[in-house]
Amino acid sequence: MQLTSKAYDVEDIWAVQEFYHSKGWTDGLPVVPPSPDAVQACLEWAMMAPEQLVGIEPVRGVAITAEKLAINAVMAGCLPMHFPAVLTAFTAMLQPEFLLHGATASTGGCAVFVVLNGPIRQELGAVGGFNALGNSDRATMVIGRALRLALINILEVRPGGIDRSTLGHPGKLSFCVAEDEEDTTWLPLSVQRGLPAGVSAVTVMAAGAPRQIMNEWTTRPEEILETFAAEMRANLRHYSLHGGNYALIIPKQLREHLQSAGWSKTDIAAFIHERARVYRREWAEVGKGAVVRDRGDSIYPALGSADDLLVIAAGGPAGGFGAVIPPWLGHKSRAVTLPIGACVDCEPPKQ
Amino acid sequence: MTLQVLDPTNETAPPPGQLALRPAGLAGKTVGFISNGKEGTTAFFAHLDRMLRETLGVASVISRVKSNYSAPADAHIVAEIQGWDAVITGIGD
Amino acid sequence: MTTRFASAAELMARVVGFPGYAFAVIPHPISSAGDDGLRDMAAATIAQARDLLLRRS
Repeated sequence: MQLTSKAYDVEDIWAVQEFYHSKGWTDGLPVVPPSPDAVQACLEWAMMAPEQLVGIEPVRGVAITAEKLAINAVMAGCLPMHFPAVLTAFTAMLQPEFLLHGATASTGGCAVFVVLNGPIRQELGAVGGFNALGNSDRATMVIGRALRLALINILEVRPGGIDRSTLGHPGKLSFCVAEDEEDTTWLPLSVQRGLPAGVSAVTVMAAGAPRQIMNEWTTRPEEILETFAAEMRANLRHYSLHGGNYALIIPKQLREHLQSAGWSKTDIAAFIHERARVYRREWAEVGKGAVVRDRGDSIYPALGSADDLLVIAAGGPAGGFGAVIPPWLGHKSRAVTLPIGACVDCEPPKQ
Repeated sequence: MTLQVLDPTNETAPPPGQLALRPAGLAGKTVGFISNGKEGTTAFFAHLDRMLRETLGVASVISRVKSNYSAPADAHIVAEIQGWDAVITGIGD
Repeated sequence: MTTRFASAAELMARVVGFPGYAFAVIPHPISSAGDDGLRDMAAATIAQARDLLLRRS
C-alpha cells in the first residue's frame, strides 16, 4: 500500500522525540516513532487503504484519512489491534451531534470520554476493574491517547491555538474505560443505547473531569443514588445549568446493592432523572446571583430525558465509591455510540 | 540507527478564500450582526447599532443570534448575509 | 475579537483559507463588563471598523 505522508529520516529515537516535540506534534509525553511499517500494520489489521476517509470535520471541512489516524495511533503506543477502536471512536467524534469543533475549541476544556463494550475488550486486554478511571491497562490508555494526538495533529487542536481551554483536565491525556460486562447483571452501555448484544462498540462523550462520590453506609438503592444525584446537582449549581448526557460509573460494591434490589440501568436512570435537578434561584447561593434575574423558579434537570444517562459498570471490587462524569455543554454535544467494524452512514454529510 | 518516521499532521492546505468587495461607504447601507448570544452581547450590539447609525450613517441594522454559541452560524442566518452590505461578528465571551 | 481570542481568530482565519485576515480587537471579557465598558468596547469597534469594512479609495 502507498503511504503519502511526508517522511523524515531521523538519527535515533531520542532525536525523534526532540523533532516531534519541537514541531508541536506531541501531548508533551514521549511518542512511539511512527514508521511506515508500523502505520501499514495498523491499516492492514483494519483492512483500510491509507487514503480511505474516516470522515470530515464538519466545521472546517478537514478530511481525516485512515493513514493520518494510524500515524497518530502508532505515536500514542497503539498496536494494530487497538486501531479499530481508535477508528470507531474518531468516526463517532466526527458525527454532527458530537459537535467536535465546539467541544475541542471551547474554553470549557472538556476531554473525550470513551467507553468500550463487547468482545473487543477481551481481545485487547481492556479491563474495567481496578483503577478504571486511571491507568487500568495498556489498551484503554493508548486508545484514549491516540484520539488526543489526532486532534492535536490532524485538526491543530493545540493549547492557545484552536484549543482555548482555560483549564482542561487530565482526561485530555487519555480518558477511556472498558465496561465490566462480566461481573454485572446489567445490560452493557452499548445495548442500552440501541446496539445488539455481543457487538463490540465504542461510545464517545464530550466530558468534564470525573467527580468521585462515596456512600458506604447504606444498601438502599434510593440512598446510594441520591448521592450520585447530589453530585449532579452540584455540577448544575457550580458549573453549568444545561442538561445533557451525564455518565455514572458504578463499581462493584455499590452495584451489588442496586442489583440485589432488582434495579436495572433503566430504573437507575428514571430515579436520577427525577432527583438531579435544581432551581435557577439556587445559583444565588453559590455566588451567581447576577444571572438569576426573574427566572428563579425555573427548574433545570441534569438530564433532558432518562435516556440521556450513561450508566457504566466499572471499577475495582471494593470501596463504596462511584463517579459522576458531567458533560462539557449538555445541550450542545451529544454522546455517540458506534459499532466497531461496521460502516454506518459512511457518506460525508451533504451540504 | 536512522529511523524513518511520518508526518502526523494534515498536510493539505485549505483552498484560498476570496474576499468580498468592500463598499465605498456605509451611509444608507444595511449592516448585519451575528452574535453568539453570550452574556453582555445584547448591550454591546445595542451600542454598536446606535454608533453605526450615528457615526457612519448606516440606514438599517439587522441583528441575528446563533442558536448554538459553540457552533457556526445557522444556515438560515448565513443565507441572509447576501442581502446585507456588511457583517459584524466576532469571537469572545 | 476580544483580546484573549485574537490568536484563535488568527488561527481560524488561516485554517479556513484567509491567512492574515484583519479584524478589530477589543478588551476582554464582555460577560462581566458593565454598560459603560460595553459602550467603550463598541466605540473601539467602530474606530477600527472604518478600515475593515470600507474600500480604500
